Amino acid sequence: MIPTIHWNLISLEVYLSFILALLIVMDILIPKNSKNWIGSLSFAGLLGLFLLWLQQYQLWGQTFGGMFIVDSLAWFFKGFFLLAMFFVFVMTHQFFRSMGQRRDEFYLLLWSSLLGMLLVASSADFLLLFISIEILTLSLYVMTAYLKSDKHSIEAGMKYLILGALASGLFLYGISFVYGASHSTRFAEIQKFVMASPQDPMLLFGFILIFSAVGFKIASVPFHLWVPDVYQGAPTPVTALLSVGSKAAGFVILLRLLWIVFAPLHQQWAVALAILSAVTMCYGNLAAIPQKNIKRLLGFSSIGHAGYLLMGAAAGSTLGGGAISFYLLGYLFTNLCAFLVIVLYFAAAKSDEIADYSGLSQRSPILACALFLALMSLAGIPPLAGFFGKFTLFVATVQSGFIWLAFVGAANVIISLYYYLMVVKKIYMDPPVSAYPISVSWPVRLTLWFAMAGIIGIGIFQGPFLDAALAAVKGMF
Amino acid sequence: MTAPLGPLSWILLWPIIGIAFIFLTPKDKISWIRWIANIMVFLSFALALEVFFSYDRTAGGYQFIDKIPWVKPLGISYHVGVDGINSVLVLLQAFCSLAGILVTRSIKERVKEYYILYLMLIIGVYGVFLSLDLFFLYFFYEMAVMPVYLLIGVWGSTDKEYATMKLTLYLTGGAVLALIALLALYAGTGLGTFDLVAIQQHLAANPLSPQLQNWIFPVIVVGFGVIVTLWPFYTWSPVGYAAAPTSVSMLHAGVLKKLGAYAILRLGIQLMPQAAQIWMPWVATLAVLNILYCGLISLTQKDMKFILGYSSCSHMGYILLGLACLNTIGLNGVVFLIFAHGIMAALGFALVGAFYDQTHTRNLDDLGGLAKRMPFVATCFTMAAMASAGLPGFANFIAEVMILLGAWDKYRWQAILAVLGIVVTAVYMLKAVRLVFHGPLPAKWTHVTDAKTIFQRLPYALLILVLLAVGFWPSLILRNIEVGTKPILEQLEHQSTGTPVHQAKR
Repeated sequence: MIPTIHWNLISLEVYLSFILALLIVMDILIPKNSKNWIGSLSFAGLLGLFLLWLQQYQLWGQTFGGMFIVDSLAWFFKGFFLLAMFFVFVMTHQFFRSMGQRRDEFYLLLWSSLLGMLLVASSADFLLLFISIEILTLSLYVMTAYLKSDKHSIEAGMKYLILGALASGLFLYGISFVYGASHSTRFAEIQKFVMASPQDPMLLFGFILIFSAVGFKIASVPFHLWVPDVYQGAPTPVTALLSVGSKAAGFVILLRLLWIVFAPLHQQWAVALAILSAVTMCYGNLAAIPQKNIKRLLGFSSIGHAGYLLMGAAAGSTLGGGAISFYLLGYLFTNLCAFLVIVLYFAAAKSDEIADYSGLSQRSPILACALFLALMSLAGIPPLAGFFGKFTLFVATVQSGFIWLAFVGAANVIISLYYYLMVVKKIYMDPPVSAYPISVSWPVRLTLWFAMAGIIGIGIFQGPFLDAALAAVKGMF
Repeated sequence: MTAPLGPLSWILLWPIIGIAFIFLTPKDKISWIRWIANIMVFLSFALALEVFFSYDRTAGGYQFIDKIPWVKPLGISYHVGVDGINSVLVLLQAFCSLAGILVTRSIKERVKEYYILYLMLIIGVYGVFLSLDLFFLYFFYEMAVMPVYLLIGVWGSTDKEYATMKLTLYLTGGAVLALIALLALYAGTGLGTFDLVAIQQHLAANPLSPQLQNWIFPVIVVGFGVIVTLWPFYTWSPVGYAAAPTSVSMLHAGVLKKLGAYAILRLGIQLMPQAAQIWMPWVATLAVLNILYCGLISLTQKDMKFILGYSSCSHMGYILLGLACLNTIGLNGVVFLIFAHGIMAALGFALVGAFYDQTHTRNLDDLGGLAKRMPFVATCFTMAAMASAGLPGFANFIAEVMILLGAWDKYRWQAILAVLGIVVTAVYMLKAVRLVFHGPLPAKWTHVTDAKTIFQRLPYALLILVLLAVGFWPSLILRNIEVGTKPILEQLEHQSTGTPVHQAKR
């Protein structure tokens, strides 16, 4: 029997596949010199997707026999991925204009990675989850190594591919164990099995393997080794996508698995996650201190942020989950704002070295201001988004009784503040390396304003955003 | 139905509106920017005065309350209000911020950015003393970090990059530590609200368990102690103040620093009186170290701002000693000294700025005889020095006497040593006055001019008038302070015997 397909639930993915197909065909048919429209079409397509997404609100349900679900969590994160992709498109546009290279296939790859992310958010079956992760990761492999003449990019792609393939292998291996124990790949079935026999060793082993693969996605210690080199070597829009999109995708999986599927095992994984969280943030923040390259610095800092986010996972409460979602939302605006500045500065100065950011405030006040706000928000200073994210994570952690973890987190706030402020010092206090002002075009300027408004708006009017984040976690099924 | 916003919200809103206007003003219209900033700060000042004088002392409690639910899932609300203590602290901030914004005239570079950041700092400091919600108290306090880092780092002097980093990391470190303690308190009450008033009422009837109090209280004291330069966490302060531009030192040393004492009083002693009885003797001992150690360092300093910086650390010792007394006269003295020292510190830093802008040195060895060129500044500085040394007639005298009287019964030795501190203060202050303003005038300083126009003199005159007025008429602020400390003292009295307030009243 073929199960009925609820087309309205998968409308986003179907529409996206159409765009993808259209772009591929057009790419072949249209002569090479008139391809600027690919970017415009991508923006238009994204707008359409966004409208569809709005219309999907509260249209919860499942289809394909429960393999594909749309619930509040999926909806929240789909919006998240669309927003992230908007910023990445803007970055891509700027980045390749400055590189003078072809960018048409790049948009195709971005679209396919978006498809992967949307599917990850809706997966309620390990097989679909595996396939969606692979769609996402395969596009990322290619994009990472996209700058064929840059040996760092090639190296980054290679590194990411090898370690990513390993993670995929672990993931599949873990699924096989879970399947062996529970005789199903469907989340709902597995959950029933976990409730019935939570101590099954095969299940636990499978869970650990699956978590390793997710740890690779969110860049938590000890699965973080790829991060610094890949972040530094990949084209900056890809780094941005990795740091926000790919990480968030990892956390969607984590939320679904820890809060629903493996929820009965909470006692067993809470302490382990707390330790992992502490180690991850200490490593990420301490290793960020000596960095000289801004992308590498943000790479280590992103490991640190994975550590903070895992605090919410260790707490395991609804508030913890809501805090993760809220934090990621703030992190989206913050980190993408930072990467947008990096792209724009690279376009003007052809450098990602922190030393070259000297005196940026005198060359371009808006870039300096945007980077300053982004770094302060990453450090968790009010009235910015990052502050309230950390605050809710701390509340969740203290409420769940992990006081020691909260103190470790507090120490890390200071460490991270130090290296972010070192960059701020360069921007605002050191003399400029060159007297040329950097001009920023109007559309990009608007995007920067939008990102800054997001950072400040979420930081001051936290209520509605936290409500949305909590609703996303509460309405999960 | 929502009531229109009361005066306290407008105190916060005027500077915010000011930031918006300045943001839209072109960079080169410097005089417009100045006027906007001055007017907005003056409006806040006027409102703060109005609040102070119309605070109803017979009714007591928190007044002028505005409350808007902000983040419901966590029980956070925007909740501002003042009681007797806050009304005095807000008044202090009103005077210091007005004097500070007037002194800011001396900034010549990147004026627009300076004013925006300075207004942010003003909002932060006001917000701290107005908030009746733990979240917003912390929010406003940490909000000051961002502008201060840039204000010192960009517009500062002597070793500014090191100083601003040190200051920022120390203060944030202390604040984050205190935050964890506050969150433990939040979780410990089980109320699910950050509302300070609700927490106070709840804890008055159901104190936290002793185990919980015993670790939360010291963490709060150390966390906020960093800000009030509790020994040995004071090292950020002299370096930071020396590097900071004049108007930032004024606000920071004058007002923001006092947040630590306020928080220890409001969040530590009032909420956890039992733990306060256990831990405060330790603080009393550290307080003496503050007074003498920092006072003696101050004796050896050559840089005028370092002298004032160490001096302010040393005087924080009296505040801490007063807090440790846990009795009526001691706690009243604390709030009084917070006010008196705040005004005095702001005045001192403003006056150093007045001659530093022209001499570009603050080294005692290079200066001398400036009184001949700037009699007005010299007179004011001498008065500030006298006030600092606790001369009768100035507000500081009354405050220090109150604290010493409060400490006499409980901490006899500490009180005796603390009196020595007054002598030390007199020595370094008089030395500074002599070396800077008296003696022969070096030829290189003949171009120095006095504060001449009324605008230039206004900030100094304002602060001196306040110091004298309160010195001669202490009850002007003391009656508000007494109303404010009364509930805290009741708490202490009843909870130290183990009986909750409402039972004891029956």
